[in-house]
Parts: sequence; structure tokens; C-alpha cells
Amino acid sequence: MSHSTESSNLTAERFDPARGRRLSIGSFGIAAVGFLVSAIGLLNNREQFAFSWLFAFFAVFAICVGGLFWTILHHATDSEWSVLLRRQMENIASVIPSLSVLFLPLLLLCAPILWKWWDIAPGVDPLLDAKAPYLNHTFFTVRYVVFFLGLGGVALVLRGRSMAQDEDGLAVHTFAMRKAAIIGLPVLGVGLTFAAVDWLMGLDYHWFSTMWGVYIFAGAAGSSMALIVLVVTWLKSAGYLKAVNEEHYHTMGKFMFAFTVFWAYIGYSQYMLIWYANIPEETIYFKIRNTESWNTLSTLLVAGRFFAPFPLLLFQGTKKKQRLICLVAGLMIAMQLLDLYVIVLPSLHQTGASPSIYDFSSLLAVAGFAAGIFFQKLSSTYTFPIKDPRLSGSVNLHN
Amino acid sequence: MSHPHKVYGLGAEFDSAGALLAAAEKIRDQGFSRWDVHTPFPIHGMDKAMGLGKSWLSAGVFVGGFLGLITGICLVAIPSFVLYPMIVHGKPYDWRTFPAFFPIIFELAVLFAALTAVFGMFALNQLPRFHHPVFNWDRFKRFSDDGFLLVIEARDDKFSESRTKALLEQIGGRNVTLIQD
Repeated sequence: MSHSTESSNLTAERFDPARGRRLSIGSFGIAAVGFLVSAIGLLNNREQFAFSWLFAFFAVFAICVGGLFWTILHHATDSEWSVLLRRQMENIASVIPSLSVLFLPLLLLCAPILWKWWDIAPGVDPLLDAKAPYLNHTFFTVRYVVFFLGLGGVALVLRGRSMAQDEDGLAVHTFAMRKAAIIGLPVLGVGLTFAAVDWLMGLDYHWFSTMWGVYIFAGAAGSSMALIVLVVTWLKSAGYLKAVNEEHYHTMGKFMFAFTVFWAYIGYSQYMLIWYANIPEETIYFKIRNTESWNTLSTLLVAGRFFAPFPLLLFQGTKKKQRLICLVAGLMIAMQLLDLYVIVLPSLHQTGASPSIYDFSSLLAVAGFAAGIFFQKLSSTYTFPIKDPRLSGSVNLHN
Repeated sequence: MSHPHKVYGLGAEFDSAGALLAAAEKIRDQGFSRWDVHTPFPIHGMDKAMGLGKSWLSAGVFVGGFLGLITGICLVAIPSFVLYPMIVHGKPYDWRTFPAFFPIIFELAVLFAALTAVFGMFALNQLPRFHHPVFNWDRFKRFSDDGFLLVIEARDDKFSESRTKALLEQIGGRNVTLIQD
């Protein structure tokens, strides 16, 4: 803090617009192929399409909300280390509003397939009748709108203020962003929790877990930090963000480590309580996922999401070496996808995993679409907040 | 007290955290090994300026945590699987019961790691001790207020009363004082 005497010789840099446009068009091209194949699925095999699309949609949605979480955390805790990286977090978060469009096929065309309670008349199932004030078409749709207005709104406000600060460098923006972040915290917590309850836990409306929201959040935040590591490394290798050094990687690695442990802690707690109490209406979730070929995937998830990255990230050397931490980051994102796959698809294939072309095409469509938007956002502004009052503190980060 | 005391070292005051940091870099480059700085608050980058390198404490904590893990596993596995194999709460008495034991294993790993961290830190700092020669320097108490102090011990191979004193004064040290043991 007293050592910020070194002046930051940073030049404002923008991502090459021509390259951004090429990448964006390329991503939309890949997405178009995914959309096309998925559209065939929508017509021919709507059940498979619905579940595949939900898997891909939620995986990407969760990672983008994770980007919003890191932005909010930066402002709410008044952080300094992450100023240099914040624009990339904001870019990831600013994809959220566009994702709302990709939920429409599920809501309009597939709702009765995905969420069994959708078509059950009142009086048939007393358990559903008790939940009817929450599980009904109107409220479900209202919540969908509210989630995206809330999360997307906070993301856009934070990014807008941050870009306004690029122009005038006034500290007033920092205070405004801090206020927005404090308001954004409950919006994020409530939004992601209830989105997870509505869209994932609602796949089996009899089943419930009070830790569901935290579990989804833990996975989202960790894998989002992994994505930030990959994006920053890619930008560095392309000649941008030269000021990012091993101290920043060390800090990002610590957060990856923290959320590796947190995910395992929450996942284990959820599993242990259900396993120990042994109540049939709760154990059904793990009964499906721990038998047949789903058991292999569940075991792989536990190994790949916790037991592999934990000892790797434990050592400082891993966190400081770009190549190593990118490997671990890639693993974390792959495991986040597997996590969502094991959450969503067993509801359809209860007797064992049955991979489909539509799983893949949905992922291409949603991730490609999100990447296209991301590249647009990336090339529309500077690669870091150039006039943030505390930029030099972030550049001279010491762990 | 007229009999001569042993010399503990030389102390010097600096004007600011920045001046102390620059001085530390110079002392480091001179090749001194037995010296320390005393400041009212932690100074970022001081470990690098002093050339301290990485502490061995984390390695000790890792070993401690690992021992705790092994202890935890033995503590739950030996009684439950070997000494008293009984069905409790309808759960089998083999490895499949492990989820019930994770909290104990986890807590013991954390406990052993934490205790190693605390007592390892004590050992590395040679604590507890009731007195330290630096307190013989009357200006030393400023270290908890506004003093940025640097002390070089006489044990250091490169130490020489006159030349080290000159060096400290040359790099901006004020009130360079000989500290008695």
C-alpha cells in the first residue's frame, strides 16, 4: 500500500475490432450449426432436445452469473487486486441479458416435458397442490422475467458505470458501483437460487434440497473464475493485458482453490444429509445418479471436480504458472459441464447415461451464441478499466 | 554497571516505510543475513526487499494436515471396521460408511494443520521469550508507533561496528545506535 510509488506505465488498449468481429462471426457461425441441429431435435425428438437444451442453457447461464458474482464481489468488498481484470468479469456478466432469449424455447415449447408439474391438474397430487402457490404457470413466467431483469440489470449497470469511468476517471463512479453491487448481492443470491430451484430442482417437483441454491452457486463461481483465468491468459497471449503478472494468477488461483473446496463441502453436505437420513423422497435423487452408468459419471465428477484440482491448487507453484493453472481451469469448466449434465439428464434417462447428438449441438448453440456476444462486448471497449482510480494498486499487486 | 556488555547489534531509524524498503534492499544486496526490520504495520513487498524467500511453515502445515488426515482415518476405521463391526443406523460397516466419517477426518486434518501452523510459527520465531536485546535500545519502542527501524545483529559475518555504522548512515539511517546485549 505504501509501495505504490512505481508509476503504472499502462497504455489504454482496445481489442482489435476487426479481430473481434471475426471471432464474433465465427462463434455465431458455430452457434448457427448448433441451432440447426437442435432445431431438428426439437421437431423429431422433443424430449431429448428439451433436456439437452436445459443442460447447455443452465451451464452457460451459471458461468455468466458467476462473472456477475466476481464483479459484485469486487465492488462490495472494495477490492483492489482485481481492477485490472474487472472488465473481463463485466464482459462475461454482460452476456446474461442475451441468454434470456435462449430460455424461450424451453418455456414456450418444452415446459410440460421438462417440468412434470406443468400439466398436472389441481386435486390429482396433494403434494403438488400444497406447492401450487409457487409452482404455477403465471408465477413461473413472472419469475423468469424477474431473474433476467434483476441479474441482467445489475450486470449492465455495473458495466455501464465502469465504461463511463473510462471517459472521465471520476471516483464518483466507484461509489455508485459499490452501491449497485451492495444492492446486487441479494439480487444475485436470490436470483440464482430460485433460478436453480425453478429450472433444475423443478425437474422432479417431489424432490427438494435446501442446499440446492448454494450448490449451484458454488459450481458457478468456481468455474467462472476458471473462465476468467482462461480469458485473461488468451488476451495476454494475444498481446493485451501485459500488466497481468504471476501475482494476479496467484490470487485467481486462490479463488479457484477456495471454490473447489467450497463446492466439495456443499456437495458433500447435501449428499451426506440425504444419505444418512435415508428418506425415500429425498434419496431418489442420488438413487438415480448413483446407479448404472450414472454412477461412473458421478464418481468422475467427484474425482475431477475435487480430488484432482485440490492437491494441484494446494501448491503456490501451480497457481503462479500460467500453463498449469490454465490446465486446472480447463478441467474445472469441463467438470462444471459434467456437473450440470449429471443434474439434468438423469431426469430423462433414469436407467443410465445415454449421450445424444443434441447434448452436443445444444452446447454448441448456447456456448457459441454466448461467445459471440462476449466477443462483441470485448471489442466494444477497453480491455481493462483504464481510468479506475486504483488501477496502479492492482498493477503493483503483492500477495 | 561498569563491566562491559556484549554488543547485540546496530539499530537505525528511517523516515518512512518507503525509505526503509529502499534501505532493506541495499542491506540485502550487501549480503547481510542476520538482520530484521521493525515497523508499526506490515509493508507490502518487504519480504522481497529483504530477500526472505518463502517460509518453510507451509510445508510443516501440509505435513501436519496430512498426519491429521491419517489419524482421523485410523480413529474411525479401526474401531468401526475392525474392533467393533456393528450395523449402526442401517449403514454397513465397511468403506461404504465413509461419508459418515468425513466430518471427523476433515476436522482432525484442520485441527492438526492449525496447531502445526501456530506452534510452527512459535518455533520459527523462537517464541516464547521474555526479553529481547533490541528492547535495550531506548528508541526501539517507537516501532509500534511511528518508527521504521532496521537492526543488524553483531552475529552476522559481515558485521563490523564501524563499517556497518557508516553503511547505515550512508543509506539514510538516523540515530544509528549500538545496542548492548
